[in-house]
This record gives sequence, structure tokens and C-alpha cells, in this order.
Amino acid sequence: MSDFLRRYWALTVKEVQQLMRNRGLLIQLLIPPTVVLIVFGYALNPEVRHLRMGVVDQSMTPQSRAFVDSLTENESFDVSQRFLSAKDAEAALNRLQLEMFIVIPTQFARDLRAGQPANLQLVIDAVDANTAQISRGYMQQGMMWALSHYNSWNGLDPLVRPGAVSIDSTVLYNPGLVTPWYYVTGIMAVLMFINGSLVASALAVKEKETGTIEQLLMTPAQTAEMLLAKTTPVFVLLMLVLMLALTVSVLVFDLPFRGSFVLFVVSGMFAALAGIGIGVTLATVSKSQQQAQLLTFFVNPPLTLLSGMGSPIDNMPWYFQKISIVNPLRYLVQIIRGVTIKDMPFNALWPDLAALVAFSIILFAISAWRFRKQ
Amino acid sequence: MKKILAQANKEWMQLRRDRLLLALGVLMPLVLLFLYGTSQSLQLRNVPVAAYDYDNSVLSRAYIETYGAAITFRLVPHDPQKSPESTLLYGDARAVLIIPANFDRDVRRGSHPRVQLLIDGTDANTGTVLKNMARSLNASFLKKNNLTQPSPVLVRLEPRLWFNPGLSNAIYFGTGALAMVLALFPALLGALSVAREYELGNIIQAYASSLSGFQWIVGKSIPYIILGFVELVICFALGMLIFDYHIPTDPSVLLVATFFYLVAGIFYGMLFGNATGTQSAAIQGVQMGAFLLALLLSGYLFPVRNIPDSFRWISYTLPATHYIVVVRNCLLRDAEWNIMLRPITALAVLSAIFFALNMLQVRKMQFKG
Repeated sequence: MSDFLRRYWALTVKEVQQLMRNRGLLIQLLIPPTVVLIVFGYALNPEVRHLRMGVVDQSMTPQSRAFVDSLTENESFDVSQRFLSAKDAEAALNRLQLEMFIVIPTQFARDLRAGQPANLQLVIDAVDANTAQISRGYMQQGMMWALSHYNSWNGLDPLVRPGAVSIDSTVLYNPGLVTPWYYVTGIMAVLMFINGSLVASALAVKEKETGTIEQLLMTPAQTAEMLLAKTTPVFVLLMLVLMLALTVSVLVFDLPFRGSFVLFVVSGMFAALAGIGIGVTLATVSKSQQQAQLLTFFVNPPLTLLSGMGSPIDNMPWYFQKISIVNPLRYLVQIIRGVTIKDMPFNALWPDLAALVAFSIILFAISAWRFRKQ
Repeated sequence: MKKILAQANKEWMQLRRDRLLLALGVLMPLVLLFLYGTSQSLQLRNVPVAAYDYDNSVLSRAYIETYGAAITFRLVPHDPQKSPESTLLYGDARAVLIIPANFDRDVRRGSHPRVQLLIDGTDANTGTVLKNMARSLNASFLKKNNLTQPSPVLVRLEPRLWFNPGLSNAIYFGTGALAMVLALFPALLGALSVAREYELGNIIQAYASSLSGFQWIVGKSIPYIILGFVELVICFALGMLIFDYHIPTDPSVLLVATFFYLVAGIFYGMLFGNATGTQSAAIQGVQMGAFLLALLLSGYLFPVRNIPDSFRWISYTLPATHYIVVVRNCLLRDAEWNIMLRPITALAVLSAIFFALNMLQVRKMQFKG
């Protein structure tokens, strides 16, 4: 045992020295997480504002103007241009000068006075279907609001009958609906995996490329010791990255930490192992550093997309939901969100932790086996 | 010119020898296109909701049924021993619907019962959507059970969604996916080819030769541009099969935009290769820029318009942002030159900037060498 420790220690020192000399690697491990977290945390925002709306007001009445005013009272829509005919508005929409336009027909005011429903046409450019969907929702809300205004002018009360049910929605854990929390927790997890697999694969192939692997093989060290020594410094660095990411999230975005810190650290450790395992495994199947990195590069996007870090897994087609079960990143995302935003107890999170542990052991075992085979 | 071609030829030979790289180059775009195009969704669906019915009457079950019928929600069973809060805490459901006791009696005798919906706010977007959804489901329950007077509809909105009337996911994400896939590979290859020269020390040979920096850069990029177009053809064929792509009436718009996009991507990658000189750092640079930034800030997932002004400039420096506009407009509305001039100009300017930066780096290096 003491022999093992001695050799392990010697190899680790060698790896640390090698890593310390590689300034670029250190910088690329520690800087991006901070920058990326801050940028994404601030930039990702579900609210659409200042959509450019064209108005074709054929009615030209106080009623129609009042209606347009009530629509543009919030910041969602800006009346960017007024047109005389729908044709002109269409042309502007086609030239990408507008996101949408409304057409208020000639008989708008007359219909209102007669108590008949007045028709309004709304044309939205749905090339960007996401924006289109959001703006249609806003418009419908704006209509409801304008309508309630109109009703209260005319002394009409809200039209509920006795016995009407009302709904109380209460948002737990994040009552202010702060969006960045969701993204920073997701990105934190992704960074662990992307960095882990990239760096580990680079390091594992390096010896092969420079030819020093023969020297290593001649030493009395066992493959397991070599692998452990190789991954120790990367592992420590990854844990540093995780702590750094957590600190930034808490300081900059007020991310709460409500759950167990131990669980957070433990799952981070196993995730680091899994990431390193992926990197080393891919490194052993490839001939050059370039190939290894390429393989990791292509493994990472599917891992990220199917982890639920950006959009919920329930929302994906069923086959992707099934595939995501074998995605270790998915479990890390769940645990991190569970212990930060929520206060999930251990007996709610243990299946995720167990899955993460299982994956990291399997991946690490495969990488050790492949590493020995070369 | 001859020198450029010679450099291009050398690059091509190197590329051809790397079987794995070529295999990845053909296969991975297809897999990624499929993944990018189909894994994301615009509409929220199948949100697990648990219902706690403390009334257990016909009416309360009818109320729960409005949730079961909505495509947004999926009713899940829950452990009756667990409190609603812990069901939410344990993550068994993302929302909990609580119907109070005497719900049915209260409705009949004219007092106003309150139903509660507890929402898990971990995902703030979903939380907002669920809140709105609950309100409209409540309204539809009222209407169905005659608990509200039909309000006189004063203004009727007739929304028309042009170019993608069904708000189809496949069309929206499928077109964005093309941009994402074409962003990854050329940039990566460019970064690798340059970084490799530094790692192997071959760069000295390039300095020692009569090759100018300009010839070196252009020669290096040519094979990857060609490869990028091959990728475009492959991806487009797949897109025609699964995402309803069609060949636009004026394909020149898309082709020119693709050319600039590829060039910008390759030069961006070479920039990282030059700056870092190691393959792993170059790959990480591309990973951040061409994958993470492009994934989240280019308008593929979230509208660019949502990004606050102080961060939106980042989006505009990403070639993917402009290319997505071109792809979507070309494939959905057959956009012509006069409309697409702006994004294409932006792409051209970006590729010129990346090229100039490359030139600067190479010149500096050569001087040092």
C-alpha cells in the first residue's frame, strides 16, 4: 500500500508540474466559466420588448386611436410606422422592417357603437416562430386589457356569476420568477462536463503523441496508478471550476443555496470523474490528440442538448427522453437545481446521485480498461 | 495564385489522410442536424401535474379533467400520504392542483371557491407559462359550466401567422439547425489545421517559404470551404426529407450567404488556432464561440430581440445570428437579394474582419520568426 502511495504521489507531482507549465490550459479552464456564466445569466431573457408594429388605421376615429394607444401602453409593442393601405404594410413586413401589423377596418367605430363585434386583423411574421408565438400571446393579453378598460368606461362590471371558481397560482422556490437561476445552474453543470472531457482527452493523448508513454510504461507504476495520477490534477481543477461557478452565481445572480452542500460537492466529484472518464476513453480510441479532441467535441453537443439544461426534458420527443436516461449530465443538472433553488432532501435526490455514481464508475472503468490495453 | 493552390492541395492531402476526421465530417453533421432540429420545442407539453382533490365530487373531477385535456399538462398520480408541498419538493410533479373540500357545494350555493395551483418556479419560463395557462383553463371551466356570462365580444382579433402558420417546430428549429451545424465543423477544422502547424513546428517551414501570409491563409481555407459546401448539400438533402426544406426560387442568395458564413467560420477558427497555438485550446475556443455562444445567443433557441441591449452586440458579432436570418427567410419565404442584403453584408464584413485579424497575427508571427 505504501508503495502504491509513493508511486502515486510521484506521478501526481509530475502531472502537476506538467500542468503548471501549461499556462494556457489553466487559463482556459478557469476564465471561461466566469465569463460564460455572467453573459448567459444576463443575456437569456424570455421577455420580448419593443416589437416593431405597423398600424393600418382605416377607421381614423377616436375609438381606433384609443385602442392602439391602449395596446402600446406597455413596452411590448412600438408603433414604428403607420400605413394607409394593407398593401404597403405587407411590403414593409416583407422587407423585414416590421415584425407585425394590425389592420383596423373602416367600420371599427361604427361596429363598436352598434354593439357588434369589430374585427381586427393581426399579421405576424412567423419566420421567427418563437418571437411570433410570444407576440401573439402578448397581443391577446393586450386585447383583454384594452377590453376591460373599455368595459369599465361603459360601466360594465366583470361578468361573473355567483359560484364562479377562481384560481390562485402560487410559485414556490422562485416566487420572483428570476430567469437566470435556471440557466446558470444548467451551464454550471455543462461546464464541468465539457471542460472535464476536453482536458482529460488532451492530457491522455499527449504522452502518446510525444512518445513519453514508453517511458511511463517502463516504470514500475501500474496502469491504474498512472491513470489516477493523471486525472488527480484535472479533478482538482474541475472542482475549483465548480466552486468558482457557484460563487459567481451566488454573488452575481443571488442564486440561493438551500439544500445540502455535501450533496453538491459529492455529485460534483462524481460528475468530474464521469467527464474525465469520457475524455480518457475517447482519447484511447483515437490515434492523435486532434482525433481525441474531435471526438469529445462531437460527444459534447448531444450531451448538452439532451440534458435539460436549456429546455425541459418532458418537452422533448419520447425517443430523446429515453436517450437522455443514459446521459450522466442530466442527473448533475437535476441535483444542482435540486440543492440550490429547491431544498430537495437526500431521499428525493438519491436516484439521481446513484445514476451519476453508476455512470462515473462505468465510464472510469472503461477508460482504465482501454488505457491498460494500449 | 499557383502558390495558393499548392497550399490548398497540401491541406487537402493532409485532410484526406485523416479517415476519422472525414468520416466525422460526413456523419456528424447529419446526426447533429437531426438533434438540433428535433430535440427542442416551442410549446410546453406534458408538464407533470398532480391533483389533490379534497372534494371528490363530480364537479371537482370535471375541474381536474380540464387539466387532463390540455396538451400542456399531464396528470400524474401522487402518493396520498405526501403533502402537496413535498410532492412538489420531491420533483414528482412540476405543479400541484389543490381543490378544496366543499368545492361542489360552494359553487352551487353561490360562494366563490378558490382552487390553488402550486408551481415549481425552478424554471422561471415554465412557471410563467403555467401561470397563464392556469388562468385560461379556469376561464374555460367557467364557460363550460355556465358560471360566467358570455361577455359581449367587442373586438375580435384575427391573428394570421405568415410563413409558418402552424408555428411548426420542425420548420423553426430545422432551419436554425442548418446554421448550427455549418458553424461547428468548418470553424473546428480551421482551428485544428492551424494549431497543428504550430504544435508540429511546421509553421517555420511556411515562414521560410516564399509564401506570403495572405497566400497561406487563403490556401489553407479553400479545402474547408469546399468541404463546407459538401456538408451543405448533405444537410440540405436530409432537411428536405425531415424538415420540409425546399430549394428556394433564387438559390444564389443562400449560396452566397453560405459562402461568407463558411469563410467567417473558418477564419474564426484559424484565429483561435493562431492565437493559442495548441489544438486543445483552439478547440475550446471554438467550443465556446461556435457552439455555446451560437447555441444560446444566435436566435436558434431564444429570439435575439429578447437579449438586453447591453449584451446584444455579442449576438451581432456571431456569424450564426445573421446566417440564421438568411436561412429562415430563404427557406420560408423565398427571400430575394434586396431583402437579404443586410445580413449578407454583415456576414461579409465579419469574414473580412476575421480575415484581417488573421493577417495581423500571421504578420506579427513572421516578423518574430
